[in-house]
Amino acid sequence: MTGSQEKQITILGIETSCDETSAAVLVNGVNLRSHIISSQIMTHQKYGGVVPEIASREHSLHIRPVVEQSLAEANVGFKDLSAIAVTYGPGLVGSLLVGVSGAKAMAYAAGIPLLGINHLEGHIYANFLEHQDLEFPLLALLVSGGHTHLIVFKDHGRYEVLGYTRDDAAGEALDKVARALGLGYPGGPQIQKTAQEGNEQAFKFPRAMLEPGSLDFSFSGMKSAVLNALNSAHMRGETLNVPDLAASFQQAVVDVLVHKALLALQQTGVKTLLLAGGVAANRLLRETLEYELARQNVRLVYPSPVFCTDNGAMIAAAGYYHFLAGDAAPWTLNAVPGLNLKSQ
Amino acid sequence: MKYLTIDTTTKVSAIALAEDGKVVAEGFLHTSKTHSERIMPMLDQLFAAAAWTLSELELIGVVRGPGSFTGIRIGIATAQGLAQVLNLPLTGILSLDALAWAGWGRNEDIVPILDARKNEWYTARYRWTAESTFAECLMTPQALSISECLEQLKELEQRICFVGDAAGKAKQEIEAALGDRAIVLPDYLSLPRGAYAAQEVWRRWQEIGAGEKVEPYYIRFSEAEVNWAKKERARKGENHE
Ligand SMILES: [Zn+2]
Repeated sequence: MTGSQEKQITILGIETSCDETSAAVLVNGVNLRSHIISSQIMTHQKYGGVVPEIASREHSLHIRPVVEQSLAEANVGFKDLSAIAVTYGPGLVGSLLVGVSGAKAMAYAAGIPLLGINHLEGHIYANFLEHQDLEFPLLALLVSGGHTHLIVFKDHGRYEVLGYTRDDAAGEALDKVARALGLGYPGGPQIQKTAQEGNEQAFKFPRAMLEPGSLDFSFSGMKSAVLNALNSAHMRGETLNVPDLAASFQQAVVDVLVHKALLALQQTGVKTLLLAGGVAANRLLRETLEYELARQNVRLVYPSPVFCTDNGAMIAAAGYYHFLAGDAAPWTLNAVPGLNLKSQ
Repeated sequence: MKYLTIDTTTKVSAIALAEDGKVVAEGFLHTSKTHSERIMPMLDQLFAAAAWTLSELELIGVVRGPGSFTGIRIGIATAQGLAQVLNLPLTGILSLDALAWAGWGRNEDIVPILDARKNEWYTARYRWTAESTFAECLMTPQALSISECLEQLKELEQRICFVGDAAGKAKQEIEAALGDRAIVLPDYLSLPRGAYAAQEVWRRWQEIGAGEKVEPYYIRFSEAEVNWAKKERARKGENHE
């Protein structure tokens, strides 16, 4: 063999778990050659949230053009791909099935491995897209509409779940409060926007910390406190200041997330915190963590906003490490809507 | 010309490998597993059994509805994924048109009925005539309540042959409504089959002579859209008052 170029590993990542149809081409884990996201937010807005059947219908129409565009922009064909990575859970079953079915057929026809990716792992791996120098062990705080997890990574594919939410996810609580405040969908960004004009000290909402030392979360009590405040004001015929409510609630959620993250860092001694998931784009959360972690000499890493929401690049990034590990999904791969992160 | 057909619009996964309208290999699974688990392994096994390679394929046909919403999308995503990589044309056909082939050459009108849940059927009506090479469509596909569908058929004079996944289950109801004017074919003849789709795909391919963009054919709007439209109508109605 002559000293030819090292073989490139090119992964096509496909994500259709909720309301974004996305595909990306990633070379050697860091060189993002294309990234297409077709968002359905406008379609679902009039319903006040994601409607599963409509989401599935939209994915069905968009998956082919989105994949075509991602290959064209990356200037590669199916024959250049090393593997196809696809989200198989968690998410909306009908939406997942569009991506899983399409990816399976493409991988089969191209004669390359299919990689089934856990969407939650994908969110965490979004951090590896822009940071090539991450060293294990790593602590990840995953905060999204459906999940709130603290996970310690010992290596690629080797992790332990330290804590998770016992009821509502942080993003879910933000969404529900946004709806109660009449701020619309998606809730997180609306709360953040409205909170800018509010006073975060105006309302004293509880911070559920659970048992001493626990790394689990609970947001449903905090959410109820807001709803109760709204209700009792309504009974008295008063109206409450919405920006103040938004700001105070956002502050309460961030306080809990930051407190638990600091506790986990302290318990594990890990020196790098990865922030992941849709709520990782929240500015107050980032700024508070930035400030707190700097004082403890812990490095904070988070993805650019485009990689925080659901996207195909993060699926390709997780796929790259699964490919290196020699993983391949069987042709029987099914969607698993309730897939979770289990220590492994 | 070698082609593949995929039908996942009911609880049956049906695949055929065919050449110029003649079936070469056929897959039929009516088990408790999902389409997602069944379809690719079945495809792989059929290709091996028929000693065909993917590169020999020249066309992919897919049944695009009506039927199970999720099933429709699995079939189309699979067909599109294969077609995209292999750079092949697609042909989309309707589940009810394919089922008309289950009653090939019969004197009765053919009425396919597919379980549409909520006491409804996806249905249509076809007729074979002595000189026809395919069944003429007399009533285009619609979603009808079972009682309404049977009422409409009562008005007709013709004898009716029922096919489709709802036929077996509704045999008594159909016979009560139509008496000896009704013939209900047993499941082994009337469930969706790769062979039926293979005939319809070949007919359509010859008719249009080119590939086409294939989109799902649901007939029905999603419930959220229906409810939203209702609310909108109510809101506008109030404004008019
Ligand atoms: Zn997500």
